[in-house]
Amino acid sequence: MAYRIGFDVGGTFTDFVLQGPAGELLTAKRLTTYPDPSEACLAGLDALVARAGIGWPDVAQVVHGTTLGSNIVIERKARGVGLLTTRGFRDVLVIGRQKRYQVYDLQIEKPAPLVPRRFVEEVTERVLADGSVRTPLDEDDCRRALRALRARGVRTLAVCLLHAYLNPAHEQRVAALAAEEAPEMTVTLSHEVSPTFREYERTSTTVVNAYVMTAVRTYLEGLAAALRARGYRGRLFVMQSSGGIATAEAMARFPVRMIESGPAAGALMAAVYGELAGVPDLIAFDMGGTTAKLALIEQGRPATTTGFELHRVNNAPGSGLPMNIQAIDLVEIGAGGGSIARARLGVIAVGPESASSVPGPACYGRGGVEPTVTDANLVLGYLNPDEFAGGALRLDPAAAVRAIEHRVAEPLGLAVAEAAWGIHQIVTTNMELATRVVSIERGRDPRDLTLVAFGGAGPAHGCRLAQALGIPRVILPAAAGVTAAIGLLAAELRFDVARTWVVRLDAADPTRLTAMYEDMAAQAEAVVRDAAIRGPIRVLREADARYVGQGYELTVPVASGPLDGGALRDLRRRFDEIYAARYGYASPTEPVEVVTWKLSAVGAAPRVALAKAAPGPGDALKGRRRAWFPETGGWTDTPVYDRYRLAPGRTLAGPAIVEERESTTVLPPGVEATVDAWGNLIATVPRP
Amino acid sequence: MIDPITLGVIWGALGSIAVEIGTTVHRTAYSEQAREGQDFSVALFDRHGRMVAQGPYSPGHMGAMSFAVRNALAAHPVQTLRPGDGILLNDPLLGSGHFPDFFVTQPVFHRDELVGFVVNIVHHTDVGGQRPGSQGVVGIFDYFQEGLRIPPTKVWREYQEDPAVIGIIAANTRTPDRVLGDLRAQRSALRVGERRLVELVERYGRDTVFAAMEEILARTEAAMRAAIRAIPSGTYTFEDWLDDWGPGTDPLRVAVTVTVAGDTMTIDYAGSSPQTPSGLNSYINYTRSYSYAAAKCLTDPFGPMNEGALRPVTVRAPEGCFLNPRPPAGGGPRALICYRIFEAVLGALAPALPERVAAAASHMANPTFGGWDRARGRPFVAYELVLSGTGARATRDGCEAMAWAFNAANIPVEAQEARHPIVVERFELIRDSGGPGTFRGGCGVRRDMRFLADDGKLTNLTDRQRFPPWGLFGGRPGRPGRTVINPGPGERVVHSKASTEFQYGDVISFQQAGAGGYGDPLARDPARVLEDVLDDYVSREAARSEYGVVIVGEGIDLRVDEAATGELRRALRATASRAPSPERSDGVVETPGR
Repeated sequence: MAYRIGFDVGGTFTDFVLQGPAGELLTAKRLTTYPDPSEACLAGLDALVARAGIGWPDVAQVVHGTTLGSNIVIERKARGVGLLTTRGFRDVLVIGRQKRYQVYDLQIEKPAPLVPRRFVEEVTERVLADGSVRTPLDEDDCRRALRALRARGVRTLAVCLLHAYLNPAHEQRVAALAAEEAPEMTVTLSHEVSPTFREYERTSTTVVNAYVMTAVRTYLEGLAAALRARGYRGRLFVMQSSGGIATAEAMARFPVRMIESGPAAGALMAAVYGELAGVPDLIAFDMGGTTAKLALIEQGRPATTTGFELHRVNNAPGSGLPMNIQAIDLVEIGAGGGSIARARLGVIAVGPESASSVPGPACYGRGGVEPTVTDANLVLGYLNPDEFAGGALRLDPAAAVRAIEHRVAEPLGLAVAEAAWGIHQIVTTNMELATRVVSIERGRDPRDLTLVAFGGAGPAHGCRLAQALGIPRVILPAAAGVTAAIGLLAAELRFDVARTWVVRLDAADPTRLTAMYEDMAAQAEAVVRDAAIRGPIRVLREADARYVGQGYELTVPVASGPLDGGALRDLRRRFDEIYAARYGYASPTEPVEVVTWKLSAVGAAPRVALAKAAPGPGDALKGRRRAWFPETGGWTDTPVYDRYRLAPGRTLAGPAIVEERESTTVLPPGVEATVDAWGNLIATVPRP
Repeated sequence: MIDPITLGVIWGALGSIAVEIGTTVHRTAYSEQAREGQDFSVALFDRHGRMVAQGPYSPGHMGAMSFAVRNALAAHPVQTLRPGDGILLNDPLLGSGHFPDFFVTQPVFHRDELVGFVVNIVHHTDVGGQRPGSQGVVGIFDYFQEGLRIPPTKVWREYQEDPAVIGIIAANTRTPDRVLGDLRAQRSALRVGERRLVELVERYGRDTVFAAMEEILARTEAAMRAAIRAIPSGTYTFEDWLDDWGPGTDPLRVAVTVTVAGDTMTIDYAGSSPQTPSGLNSYINYTRSYSYAAAKCLTDPFGPMNEGALRPVTVRAPEGCFLNPRPPAGGGPRALICYRIFEAVLGALAPALPERVAAAASHMANPTFGGWDRARGRPFVAYELVLSGTGARATRDGCEAMAWAFNAANIPVEAQEARHPIVVERFELIRDSGGPGTFRGGCGVRRDMRFLADDGKLTNLTDRQRFPPWGLFGGRPGRPGRTVINPGPGERVVHSKASTEFQYGDVISFQQAGAGGYGDPLARDPARVLEDVLDDYVSREAARSEYGVVIVGEGIDLRVDEAATGELRRALRATASRAPSPERSDGVVETPGR
């Protein structure tokens, strides 16, 4: 017993982690398969279980992370998805919010709506902004609309009626009629998926939920059945975008909640490494081949957001599909090992375009001619050409030099090494700006935070990023390449509920609020208990509040227990404090209202317990090579260490390079790193 | 000489500061047009008062901003400024042309030395005057009827609001809660921007940041000049018309001459109509704004937007014409004019840059409403923004329902209804309204609003009801727009710029024009026409008559009858009725309204 497995499907690789009773980890990677990613999952799981020498009945828990939902949306793969709206509003998806996401580009396009007009029907009914019914649901009209959609092949239906977040009666009745008219149709209702105002964003969320529902359900059911057939006795758990896990059954109803589940796991794992090191306030920095993801972690918990956009164009706000879901608040930018560098306006620009795996960086020798961050890191001596990605790939340093020379160094009149250093610096700067978004813009001074650097490229840039922002400490976790999969095992079981109920704090009825929260707690706890998790369930409460008259809210924690007048006054005071920290001034005499009341039930899932490091025999110093560090005058004879032989307590002084299978750590001059008991490197970064 | 890496870092940081100022306005504002419509702009200026970074919002304020900051500083010299001071102005000549736009300029000091300015401008709900919303056209013979005029005035001093100034503003608006709330949003946003700029200077040092600002302006200017140089030198002209300036008035002519000479561009509106005794005048800063925006779109759209990008472009309009009126001309509803300024430049340069331009867009409606909210027992003032399709382009259709020159977002129905006695009954695209072409113009948008209000007052503000949006290179114009009260039998047509009353329960229907097409409609891929018919953007009848495409089948099992289509297209090309439209040398199809 007590074996746990996490597996995470990414765009290129599927990562596997099996954790034994003592916390020891067995890891594996396998190419992701298309069109059915479960092929690679099952093959990899079988291999992993065999390698561990255990049987499926010994596995206590399996947790899955996948970007399947996101891929279905980006490829517009779903068929037979329809939308039912209030009469007069069939174009809600086409119209959107209408703002130009690039002000001066006359050639921009809006994202194509997930449901074209031909699969949209309107129904006569109308609820008003106070929840009252202006026009009752016309049931004959509704049956007609349902029959029409059915005749056009609609099998999954999103229903989004105006103001349903306040009064769901019409949506509920539509669902009942659909069960009669089209029993085979799967129906998803906006007030269940996203009970919040602003019709476009709510419709978009509901439609995405419907859009991915069939594929996600089929996929998860197939996977669960295959695991049962192998003798696995537990439930299949899935990571949500919020960073909590839930059962596959719960996600089959609300698949929109697991639309971006892989990156969330990485942020969670960063919190675990922070906990091991005894630091609760962190920035998670996950840099892979194409993008870098940054997230703020406070008091051991990643920050979350209630709205994000899927598939933005060049990261421009407003260019993607908005979704009202709880999600770990990640900032993702086009900065990865494959990001392309070029000379533009007399300066070096890096990304967001990526050479990805085809053709790949120039040094891959697969036809790439444009220089990338990986090429720069190779030229700088940071990477070992013979041991990249576990030795799977031999890198060609001459090709990297040529690419940088032609595309960057010559146009700017720089030496090749200077240009490579410039690329390294600029990509770090790009990530620095994203790091500011998750720290300074949220009122957090990076000088009080610790950076956790992981992902294939993260450890090569982490210390420089920290230097740029004055972050004093960097954690470079062991096994950085599979951090997200390990993170799946660190997740808590969690279910979130939210209710829109606009209440002025100075006129709120504490008894009613208390009753509402009790009701919400019962609902969320029921889902968590259904997962058959023993132990206590924690309940967390928050409120989205604003000054009366504003349109956007700030999230404020709500104390536990029954709400009385004192608790509401505390809430008000906390709101003013948070507001002033973020926006410069508070308005203590202005009335405050709460718009959305939120509650999360969190089950005491087994937490990941990492094994203590057991270093291999022999000298950790495996050699020396020339690497570029401006602090030491450029080319510098630099020691190279084997991470698997570093004993706990060992201290390394930069400049130094530490190699492991999935990534390479660069310790610049002045940085000192100590190996902790779990094999993580804890680096101290001096102020520049 | 600043090294390229530090320059890149500072450049990026200045841009992100501007974005953060804008995000703060958006998230802390009170009025629907600011928090939902994002009708505001933000920028960062250097210590000499030159714009070095701009946020991605309404370009309309951008060209004006440089001048507004200079005017603010002329009235309040730098040596009189303290940290936390905010200079407010809304004078049309000194600012962006109408009273509702409140510019605030706040100096930023680093250890007692001026390092720059943070600036924002928000379109406020109401600043008094004759009509709720302060945007009336009719019956305005000077700006004294448009509300409160504020010369450059310190609205806050050392981070504290000046109660006297705030009191005067509150006393001169129909919506003091919103106006003061939005002003607080402006204050928060500038505070946030100030902190960030100080941090940047703290980290890199004043000299480095100043040197970077110089470089940014110089390099942006050089890039802009290079882009202009790529346009064949020459003189390009265009004319277009606004329907009129109120019921029973004549069209207003927009005449433009764009002269490209080497690396400079001059945009001159000589020949445009004289200023009007109405609200419909565009003060020069506003004319500049949209001229700059058009020039930017056609030259270096992805490059940074700052004062360097403006330097190679000169904008002129004869004093006394409606694009450069003399005070105290009215200007409240001037937003109506921006599309025409912007599109005139596009139209002029279409022959030189056929791959970059777009046909004329639909026109927005920007009406304001006032009255007595019976259910809530209070007066109300509401603002609406009906944005429609954009013009077709050389290789793609126009966008459906997308902001155009005036970059803003719509107000969600659920947000509009939550605060006002309004029930929106339709918000949809109008079939067959998009101008046919090889690439089709975007459809017009219709928004029907029922008012549960007494003493209703509508100030309508829209256009392209007589002169439809033009097509390019054989593309057809879009269908003209209309405004009606209680659409259907017995409907009452409302003039595009009328001020009128409405009754409790009336529905006001804004039906905007479709945008212009690009290229011959008979050359449109029949498969695209089929898709349009399947999604009901184009009727089967219009597929035949406009595109020569014959579609057969029922329901959604439709297909193109290839043979019949070929035959019909040959016949249409041959018939006199499909003879090439009177096409001008600039490729614009003459429309029946001209």
